[in-house]
Amino acid sequence: MTHRFIGWPIAAAAVAAAFSLAPIPAAGQAAAGPAQAYSPPRTSDGRPDLSGIWQALNTAAWDIQDHHAQLGAPAGQGVVEGNEIPYQPWAAAKKQENLRNRLTADPDTKCYMPGVPRITYMPYPFQIFQTPNYAVILHEYLRVMRIVYTDGTPHLAGSIDSFWMGDSRGRWEDNTLVVDTIHFNDETWFDKAGNFHSEALHVIERYTLVGPDHINYEVTIEDPKVFTRPWKMSMPLYRRKEPRARILEYECYAYLQEAQRGR
Amino acid sequence: MMAVAIVVTILSLASQPAIAGLRSSSFVQARRSVAKATGAAAQGAQAPVGEPASLGGCPADILAFYKCALDKAKTFNPPRMASGKPDLQGYWRSRLTLAFSVEGVSETEPLTRDPVTPWIVGPGEIVDPPDRKIPYQPWAAEIGRKGQNFQKYIDARTACGSGGVPRVVHQGPHQILQREDYLVWLFEDHQVYRIIATNGQPHIGKDIKLWEGDAVGRWEGNTLVIDVTNVNGHNWLDDAGNFHTDAAHLVERLTMIDPDTIHYEITLEDPKVFTRPWTMAWPLTREAPGFELLEEACQEGEHDMPKFLKLGFTYYFGAPWRSR
Repeated sequence: MTHRFIGWPIAAAAVAAAFSLAPIPAAGQAAAGPAQAYSPPRTSDGRPDLSGIWQALNTAAWDIQDHHAQLGAPAGQGVVEGNEIPYQPWAAAKKQENLRNRLTADPDTKCYMPGVPRITYMPYPFQIFQTPNYAVILHEYLRVMRIVYTDGTPHLAGSIDSFWMGDSRGRWEDNTLVVDTIHFNDETWFDKAGNFHSEALHVIERYTLVGPDHINYEVTIEDPKVFTRPWKMSMPLYRRKEPRARILEYECYAYLQEAQRGR
Repeated sequence: MMAVAIVVTILSLASQPAIAGLRSSSFVQARRSVAKATGAAAQGAQAPVGEPASLGGCPADILAFYKCALDKAKTFNPPRMASGKPDLQGYWRSRLTLAFSVEGVSETEPLTRDPVTPWIVGPGEIVDPPDRKIPYQPWAAEIGRKGQNFQKYIDARTACGSGGVPRVVHQGPHQILQREDYLVWLFEDHQVYRIIATNGQPHIGKDIKLWEGDAVGRWEGNTLVIDVTNVNGHNWLDDAGNFHTDAAHLVERLTMIDPDTIHYEITLEDPKVFTRPWTMAWPLTREAPGFELLEEACQEGEHDMPKFLKLGFTYYFGAPWRSR
């Protein structure tokens, strides 16, 4: 069901005014130079402080690759480097099947958790809250909370293939927070276009402040059961600049229930 | 490197009225906290089985704990953040609380003999008014207390909604993280988080209503005072269907009374439902090192709603008080 996104192109114009849109490299290209000149404010333990309210501003939630518009969904340039997703042959066919069935097959239509990194580029803000041992990412969408442990603890032990949002452990490489996430189930998609993964998914995100109001966000996807090689997405994340910016709530399933009430 | 001790929580669904053949799964809180009372009432007697004998040096009974904790708070000097504010960070769990009814459960309650999810006898979480009952206006008393809400509507928490404030505090473990500008409170129960602004920002506009409300915090001495407005009134206070509306104003107070114990207190007022403000209180105790919160995917595993709907239950969304 796409009804939740009708009107988004109109909302986007208003929301764009709330973002800081200084020119930075476009997604999919060489988005992060190796040594950024920017020196960010730091937390008490000397790390760049990613805290604040952030939001992606692109159309990756519809389709992470280049796409033209359709009713209710804007056109967009993709966020995938090289615009190619290296599916194994069986998986390329599966993606096409997902695409054909997306109005019912997309787990997002049931208001299920969107997985990683789709939650990052859903068109809703999120708040990063950083302390020395935790970088917590709190999402307005579905009240998803991602707890990134930066306390040196390892991933949960054992063969776990059941988390919708995975198990995230983070470490710092210079000014970049590198978040390593595994233990996914196979039920989430990367977008509404049917791009998918297996429970072997391994996501590596890199968050780098490149200015006071911009994070360069790069994601490496590895899944040897579905793809022939790792591949990458990248995009800017924009700080929400309203003086009293807040994340609110989007309790998706509750709205589905309300719609059912009259039955 | 510390061994990571994982406590696996089991998805819990609130119980609903005695309809043959349909029950939901057991309460996590019930398993953790109190074994069935035998003989004399649990009220004020001794610590229920499974609970520590003493909580921060105070008795393991809610009313006695409340009085003792307020006293201890006067002299305890808590660990502090660099700013000098008390450091409440860590993993915490509510103690002495029961999920069934904040007014307590008596031995004569029929649901104590429910074959699937027996309610557990206990005095409840209310410390004021002295009769430990919710001061309902007359119209509201027949809606709460296993009345209309419990008999006709699906508890929002059963439908994978948040338990709301303060119910989410006593349903499972939680984590507090703290900075100067915000304190975040993360709850494993149905994956709920609360962001408490301690940066002086005002409440949001009154037309935005939220499941967790809008929380603004300030320090009064060693106590974190959390002012909660903008609630949507879609949740119940407990399994019995006790409730408030979207006019509710809640004030919580958190005070450490020893390194591993927080005194938690909440005062609720709602001029549409209650005749006066009333207060609940209970202890929070620190979890052992190595604890982590785990993901709880409620909606993704939920398959019982069609059965409830077929039996004639309706989603709640505050229907009884909205239609007044």
